[in-house]
Amino acid sequence: MEVETAQEDLKPAPGQLASSPFINKIVAPGDIVLDLAQLSIPTLRLGGGLRQDQDLVIATKAGRLKYIKPNKIWVEGSQKRYIPSLEDVVIGFVVDRRSESFTVDIGGPVHGSLSIFLFEGATRRNIPNLQAGSVLYMRVVKAHRDMTPELSCVDATGKASGFGHLKNGYVFQCSTGLARALLSRPTCPVLEALGKSLSFEIAVGLNGRVWVNAASVSTIILVSNAIMNAEFLSAAQQQLMVQKLLQRVQES
Amino acid sequence: MALEFISPEGLRLDGRRPAEIRQLRANLGVIDKADGSATFEMGNTKVIAAVYGPHEVQNRSQQLLDQALVKCEYSMANFSTGDRRRKQKGDRRSVEISLVIRQSMEAAIMTHLLPRTQIDIFVHVLQADGGTRSACINAASLALADAGIPMRDIVASCASGYLNNTPLLDLNYLEDSGGGPDVTIALLPKLDKITLLQMDAKLPLEMFEKVFELGNKGCVAIANYMRNVLLENTKDLAFARGVVKV
Amino acid sequence: MTSSLQNFVVAALKEDQRIDGRRPFDSRRLNMKFLREDGSAEVQLGQTLVMCCVSCQLVQPFPDRPNEGSLSVFTEFSPMADSSFEPGRQGENAVELGRVIDRGLRESRAVDTESLCVLAGKAVWSLRIDISILDNGGNLIDAASIAALAALLSFRRPECSAGGEEGQEVIIHPPEIREPLPLILHHLPVAVTFAFFGDGDLVVVDPSYKEELVMKGRLTVTMNVHGDICSVQKGGGVGVSSGEIMRCLRIAATKVADVTSSLKKAAEAHETERAFRKVKRINVAATTEGRRVDISETVKAEFKLRSAILDKSIKSELNDDEDSSSEDSSDDDDDSESKEDNVMAPIRAVKEEDPQSVLPTDAVFQGGVSQWPTGTKPYTISGTMKTNPTGNSVIKVSSSCQEEKPTAILDTAKKNKKRKKKNKKKVNRPISSM
Repeated sequence: MEVETAQEDLKPAPGQLASSPFINKIVAPGDIVLDLAQLSIPTLRLGGGLRQDQDLVIATKAGRLKYIKPNKIWVEGSQKRYIPSLEDVVIGFVVDRRSESFTVDIGGPVHGSLSIFLFEGATRRNIPNLQAGSVLYMRVVKAHRDMTPELSCVDATGKASGFGHLKNGYVFQCSTGLARALLSRPTCPVLEALGKSLSFEIAVGLNGRVWVNAASVSTIILVSNAIMNAEFLSAAQQQLMVQKLLQRVQES
Repeated sequence: MALEFISPEGLRLDGRRPAEIRQLRANLGVIDKADGSATFEMGNTKVIAAVYGPHEVQNRSQQLLDQALVKCEYSMANFSTGDRRRKQKGDRRSVEISLVIRQSMEAAIMTHLLPRTQIDIFVHVLQADGGTRSACINAASLALADAGIPMRDIVASCASGYLNNTPLLDLNYLEDSGGGPDVTIALLPKLDKITLLQMDAKLPLEMFEKVFELGNKGCVAIANYMRNVLLENTKDLAFARGVVKV
Repeated sequence: MTSSLQNFVVAALKEDQRIDGRRPFDSRRLNMKFLREDGSAEVQLGQTLVMCCVSCQLVQPFPDRPNEGSLSVFTEFSPMADSSFEPGRQGENAVELGRVIDRGLRESRAVDTESLCVLAGKAVWSLRIDISILDNGGNLIDAASIAALAALLSFRRPECSAGGEEGQEVIIHPPEIREPLPLILHHLPVAVTFAFFGDGDLVVVDPSYKEELVMKGRLTVTMNVHGDICSVQKGGGVGVSSGEIMRCLRIAATKVADVTSSLKKAAEAHETERAFRKVKRINVAATTEGRRVDISETVKAEFKLRSAILDKSIKSELNDDEDSSSEDSSDDDDDSESKEDNVMAPIRAVKEEDPQSVLPTDAVFQGGVSQWPTGTKPYTISGTMKTNPTGNSVIKVSSSCQEEKPTAILDTAKKNKKRKKKNKKKVNRPISSM
């Protein structure tokens, strides 16, 4: 485990982005991450968790500072409440049906709206029949802080490609950080360990919701509990935990 | 307690046998304005119930999309007990009894047939002489039937207790305050399922079983009476409309 | 949300499984913690956290019971525990909980009220039981009832005697002069809650939050270990056959036996610790004058120790299931170990009562010397780890903490060092606040 010295938190970072000592480090709200005056890159795209105060880029969230070449930088933190942002995949529950859209609960500050036409093969005559409480896998197409977020069950080309109504299965909550880890490549260790011995279907929403379906109920319960436990474990610990759970199930 | 609740001949304070319920009397359709109403008397305990509904939900945010919202309010009249009471609504006992009556009725009402609506049940105790909770449930049951709200079964309720080493059925106020346990049961008779079960004071498990069984039988008896009252009432209504010719 | 959850819960129950991996009649892990003050206790049942405080006051007795004290139960359902609780106004669930606990204690005569009488007809002790819900993880009634019993077991009322003219005045002796007395409890009524699903044929014990969202009915039985039923509450809900109810009562009897033995064990451990603490208070104060502790070294040592313990725990996990728990902790049977309560899972840290660090006595404070008792529980790492009075498992580190903690801890340490030099008042925040 590495230990940072405290003094560096107080000095502004040097100009070169790629070699900035803050990339992939933990920052706290108020930390000055970059000094734009010394930056050599012409434009910089600030993602979530950062704000600009004249020449300084300051973190507003606690999390890990991430950077992608050439010019994207953002803070990735983990929280329980989801703030909708563009192009995220989310899992939601239908709450109500309006004339032209469904109201969907995505676990954010407000409910999102899903137009009835944004399903594969949907026309005026052929409206999808979704009851209150149906589970949907969607992506966020509009997320502005002043407007209700808009969702869609088709991808950019109009095909379903996995989006839509998820039947049966079980939905449970986790933090946004864990959801991101589950969706990242290479495969998250807990999923890998589970996938070696069990067969199940899984859909992960970046809003901290995970849907699991499998042939048997005990598999679903095992998978859901394993993922929930994996919240604070390192890779090795996750594998051990899964191993233990599988052992315990086999014994009983 | 020095008071002898069972005399050596086996009679209780009011002359009943241990497994005897008090005299029952019920009337339907007593409140004109309400969609359904009923009074129920068990001995000296008199209770009146009114049902309004199903109607539009008053508070939009409480609306349930797949079933009816059932609300219940229990209150005692100032003059119902010996001393005039000051606060008869909103105190903790009333809140608990309202909750319990509501949940018992919800088990019987087929709420999924009436989504996005509200059903209000008001129960008012006019005279309290023990067993008010049971009388309220019985009255509410009849009132719901009078209002034509679809129900799985009628709910019949009875209280039983244990004093002087004997299980007793349908306690009156004196027996209730005798310090022994008080078991209230509400039963769905045709389904033979218990929806409400409340007990206070201490009782060993074996004794509890006996008292419980006695209470069950009491509920079945009351259920029979309620059913007869309903049939009579329906016959009268049908006759009045000329549907049934005697 | 509830319809899909309901389908799954019922489907799982039909195969005798619950969504958190328990079997239908398994309870969650129970953790009891007695707080520093007499008469306060905190109980954790799975994710549910409930705190209870008992206090007493001399009042005039009721006219119809001139030589009996009284007991009243108050509940607080703060929205902090669950956003659906309303602030201020007591919802019906809060009232029901209060009344069920009240009935269990009062009607069954668990607390001996006659011993609370001081002067017949004039002064009796009135007990006030305050229950606060801190986190709603399901099954609040059981947790609250255990918390109330724990608080009653640890409560001490001041000794008082009649004095003054004609013995009509009551003199309350302060605790330093005369040892306060425990309450006389005839028996311990413990609540066990069952939840019903489907048509009333699927039953579980100790419902969790999600199970409570979809349950159709609930039955709470308050029993004591002698087989007496102190109260039953099935407030409506789906109809259940009487045979099923009797079966639940029998199952409750076994659960009650477990909980009562845990309660008694925990209370005894607390008693010895309390007596021990009193002895220590007098000796240690003399020896810790002028003792200096270097914070950063202590903290680094803590860190090494924690990571060492975590490694050991990983190895021990592979070999052995059992936690070596210490005095105050109370676990249920093996049956009750659920997948959710796997040791790897972060166990909630119940807040430590004592100040967690020792202030070097050579610091200069503005505004006077600190009031923290310096000697009683110095936060030496080895000491805390061994005795572990909170009853929580020592192994509670999360992996992210591993990376982040050192920075935070050492930052504070370095900043404190700087501030110490500037002679400013310093407060060391408790380190382990996970």
